[in-house]
Amino acid sequence: MLVYTARRFAVAIPVLLAASVLVFLMVDLSGDPLSDLRMQQPPPSPETIAAAEARYYLDRSIPERYWLWMTGIGGNGDIGLLQGKFGPSVRGGPFDIGEQLASGISITIRLVSAAIVMALGLAIVSGVISAMRQYSKLDYTLTFIGFLALAMPTFWLGALIREGGLWFNKTTDTSFFYTIGANSARVSNMTGWEYFLDSAGHLVLPTVTLMLTSYAAWSRYQRTSMLEVLNSDYVRLARAKGVRNSVVVRRHALRTALIPLVTVATIGIVGILEGVVIIETIFQWRGLGYFFIEAVKAKDTFALMAWLMLSGTLVVLANLIADVLYGVLDPRIRYE
Amino acid sequence: MSDLHNRLVSAEADRPDLTEENVNKGEQLTQMQMIWRRFRRHRAAMVSLVLLLVIVAFAFVGPLVWPYDHTVSRDIAGNLSPSLQHPFGTTKQGNDVFAQTMRGAQQSLKVALVVSIVSTTIGSIWGAIAGYYRGRIDAIMMRIADVFLIIPLIVAVAAISGNVRGGTTWYAVALIICFFSWATIARVVRGVVLSLREQEFIEAARAAGAKVTRIIFRHLLPNAAGPIIVAATLLVALAVLTEASLSFIGFGIQPPDISLGKMVEGARTAAFTRPWLFYPPGVLIVLICLTINFIGDGLRDALDPRQTMVRR
Amino acid sequence: MENRRKLLGAAAVGVSAALVLGACSPPADDDGAGGASSVSWIVNQAGGGWNHNTPEGGSVYVIQMLHGVLPVPGHWDPSGEWQWNTDLLVNTPELINEDPMVWEYEINPDANWSDGEPIDADDFIWTWKMNSGNEELCADNCNSRGTLLTAQFESVEGSEDGKTVTVTMKDGEKFPEWFTFAADGLYPAHLAEAEGFDLDTPEGMLESSNWFNENPIPISGGHYLIEEGAALDGRVVKTVNEDYYGDLPNIEEIILEVNTEEGSWVPALSNGEIQGAAPASWSDDVITQLEDAQGVEFGIEPGGSWEHVDINMDNETLSDKALRQAIFMAIDVENIATRTYGEKFPEIEPRTNHIFDNNSEFHEDVVTELGQGSGDSEAALEVLEDAGYELDGETLTLDGDEVAPLRLRYTAGHVAREIIAELIQSDLAKIGVTIEIETTDDLGGTLSEQDYDLMIYGWSGTPAFASSPSQFWRSDSGSNYGNLNNSEVDELVDKAMNVATPEESAVFANEAAALVAEEAYVLPIVSTPVFYFYDTNYLSGVTDNNSQSRRALWNQHEWSAVE
Repeated sequence: MLVYTARRFAVAIPVLLAASVLVFLMVDLSGDPLSDLRMQQPPPSPETIAAAEARYYLDRSIPERYWLWMTGIGGNGDIGLLQGKFGPSVRGGPFDIGEQLASGISITIRLVSAAIVMALGLAIVSGVISAMRQYSKLDYTLTFIGFLALAMPTFWLGALIREGGLWFNKTTDTSFFYTIGANSARVSNMTGWEYFLDSAGHLVLPTVTLMLTSYAAWSRYQRTSMLEVLNSDYVRLARAKGVRNSVVVRRHALRTALIPLVTVATIGIVGILEGVVIIETIFQWRGLGYFFIEAVKAKDTFALMAWLMLSGTLVVLANLIADVLYGVLDPRIRYE
Repeated sequence: MSDLHNRLVSAEADRPDLTEENVNKGEQLTQMQMIWRRFRRHRAAMVSLVLLLVIVAFAFVGPLVWPYDHTVSRDIAGNLSPSLQHPFGTTKQGNDVFAQTMRGAQQSLKVALVVSIVSTTIGSIWGAIAGYYRGRIDAIMMRIADVFLIIPLIVAVAAISGNVRGGTTWYAVALIICFFSWATIARVVRGVVLSLREQEFIEAARAAGAKVTRIIFRHLLPNAAGPIIVAATLLVALAVLTEASLSFIGFGIQPPDISLGKMVEGARTAAFTRPWLFYPPGVLIVLICLTINFIGDGLRDALDPRQTMVRR
Repeated sequence: MENRRKLLGAAAVGVSAALVLGACSPPADDDGAGGASSVSWIVNQAGGGWNHNTPEGGSVYVIQMLHGVLPVPGHWDPSGEWQWNTDLLVNTPELINEDPMVWEYEINPDANWSDGEPIDADDFIWTWKMNSGNEELCADNCNSRGTLLTAQFESVEGSEDGKTVTVTMKDGEKFPEWFTFAADGLYPAHLAEAEGFDLDTPEGMLESSNWFNENPIPISGGHYLIEEGAALDGRVVKTVNEDYYGDLPNIEEIILEVNTEEGSWVPALSNGEIQGAAPASWSDDVITQLEDAQGVEFGIEPGGSWEHVDINMDNETLSDKALRQAIFMAIDVENIATRTYGEKFPEIEPRTNHIFDNNSEFHEDVVTELGQGSGDSEAALEVLEDAGYELDGETLTLDGDEVAPLRLRYTAGHVAREIIAELIQSDLAKIGVTIEIETTDDLGGTLSEQDYDLMIYGWSGTPAFASSPSQFWRSDSGSNYGNLNNSEVDELVDKAMNVATPEESAVFANEAAALVAEEAYVLPIVSTPVFYFYDTNYLSGVTDNNSQSRRALWNQHEWSAVE
């Protein structure tokens, strides 16, 4: 088991490396990060531009830049992934990539964790109900809702949910829901309870949106695996023995049927990261999604690389965890 | 991408018991008929199929008969509300939104089809080869696929599409999405092939001295057709949505050309002020994805004799 | 196995709960203050640095964030008139001498930074050195974004305990807008010294420039003080500077929130999360939403930036002046303006001068008499026919050769330019000129590489104009992207910069603009209208100011809260 995990990890490293080369090439070729600088009025002097080129290592070739990004050897001491430095941001000195990334994680994690918990819960419940009542009206309705959520562009879904929140505020004449940001501006003078309410009010709408993007696929998956289990011999045997239906479902069928969902949900982290990019834009959170969008807009090579390394590592880790969990949960699987 | 992956995994989980399939040509026909019969029984899928065909006709035949095209014309007054002449109104600059919607649907569908076909082809072959050879070749090929899998799709596309010179055309968008979506298919097909290759009819073909290409193209891939078809179908919906997301963050098809995603993005603040700009393309996106999901569902059921038979 | 599963399940739930709750514990209480009157205002984009003298920090967004924190000698009022800051200065600075140009600031003796240190000549000197473009004063150019005026200074000197500042320009150098020196705000030099930077050495200056760029200013020389925790890409909270030397403002707290998604503005406004904004970009639908919203006041005015079509003079096809003239004549600017902005801003009119807005006192119409922007395709065809072109059906030919299609480019995602481009395409089709629209993601790169035949983009500016003609059109200017090469223009633009008053300068600027129009090099389209809005349930006294980067925030100290 440990050996297996270690081996999987060893294999993941060259994959990550290859991905970093690919992304580095893509980002580096995608335009001149200093184009905004060149467009300023009045135009900056050539010395200012040259200094900027040197500061951001734009005066070096792409292979050199990649090597520098990875090792930091020959740089100004602000670069080198292996030394734990992400490199300078073209958005200027105050923008520290590492710090920004860390603050992005702390913001995004509450969105993502809340959404995953909600999506999993709902997916299990509706998947099981759908499977138990296959081809019933309820099954069709749940299927339809799931497909509708899958069919709507995320940004549209988000806008609709925002309007729903506003409508709720207006009809109840409260201000529970917030539509922008992760918290109100001034939180230092709030009590713990007020802070909790404020956070929750900001959290609900984007979470529901993100939740819906994952829920649909997961509930379909839960339905399928539940159906399979319900038709399996051991469940039939349990039924034949006269075990009560609710007990069969809860104790025998559901447990087994949950196993695949665990892996699917773990792997689903890629999709969630994509959803975060869109949803943080709509609800103006300053998390990882916003970090990414701004980095792309500014053609901020090193910031983008940091982001992709983080997301790549997360995905690799998620896949690994999925595999390991599968082994832990399903006694039929043994790793050599 | 994970949406797709999830659905593909479930497609795989649902796949028919392949040992029962027969490679005999004459019987395949009857099998096709059986599948068609089962598919027809899936009412939602049938309705969806008809609806999708209507949308396709609207997108591809519509522009031929409609008097306006999607470009700006000085003769069209700007900012009109819907009327008989302009059923979806006009934009500020003077486009007929009805014509734009047709054109947008056409471009979005073209993107989706190209993605679906190209990705599925590449992914299937890649996955089949990896699954057939196993061992080191498999390991290397799947690691290469992993490289594309660990980069989130819209992230990759956003990063790369700034690089496409002279604006982003529909085929550029399509090819970029392909570039980062074939790997999921490859992974699914490899899984199927891994189990197929152990079966008797493959061993028989091998014993009869069939060449590798023949085994892969004549025996393995046709027998993996079920999951592949479902995956390809779902990829269409995924591509439509990806294109829309890309437009939202500003990296999709660029004007003067138009796509559904671009239209919805441009009108997203208009949802309550000028709904006729927002809803037609939006509803069309939803309809395309919805119908395709149902068709995929119907296909899955039709290709899987076990599940449709069980009625409790 | 049973137990293991239970354990895992419990662990999973526990971890997620911890994640959710962990993120929800309030940060340590610091002061517990919180003004009764608090205004949240939207800033369109993140800033790049806290030093507005550098390229990263020099955006309008940072200037908005710093507004009210850094003392300014003066500012442009909404009508484009220069107003001195009577809180900071006790005199009205005037030119004491014209050659060399000399002027003096007398600083209010009570004017102090909020830490008690006086605002004095050192702060002016720091701004000069920072932007001097002189390696002996500031290493690496101090990473300055603009040295135009300040590089011509001979000296900046303090007297009377530093409360009188005398600026002397170099012999023979003149600049009509001398009064704009330090207009974006003075930095506290004493703070840099306290940090240990030796401001008399070039390296020390560079270090202080970087230090100011990396840290929000902890003290204030104006109405407001930046609270701790300000983030260039998030929120900047400003509270009243109780030690201000003039009248204290009414609004106790101004929160600037970076918000890049225009679709969220009106919902957030109606939900009470923000109280207003003066967006940089135009949106019909946001304005429509504002029209429908309750308790909102909004206004629309021509803004400081203007859109124009540039021609690449090095393009072979376009090197023919007759073709260029015909193209400009065939473009119907009135129609473009109406369709682009007319729905919400019926007062929109074509811009007819490159340098001056139609409302400017110096404005002269330089394009109408040439027929440019009229959309008169008949007249355009006449010009073409006189020059030997023939329109055969839908194709234009010259000596039997078809006129090659031209590439018209603009920034991807720019809605107004998209409309302008499509309209130009349909206008030019009428004279047989085929336009291929291509967007670009890299405006600066596309322009400087001259990778276009026609280009739509905008210049933005304040009422200060003297250096613009030289920057746009001088044959060796880096911003003369289309490569106009006209020695008469070169002479005129030099003269426009090298006089002592704006009035004299305007004469030369107008002459240069007329020549440029005659060359058919740049066709002005419109002064881009901008809008602002605020919640009248919370606020009163808000007006926009398009002469300043600060926009409606310009008079934030005069705003008052509605009871």
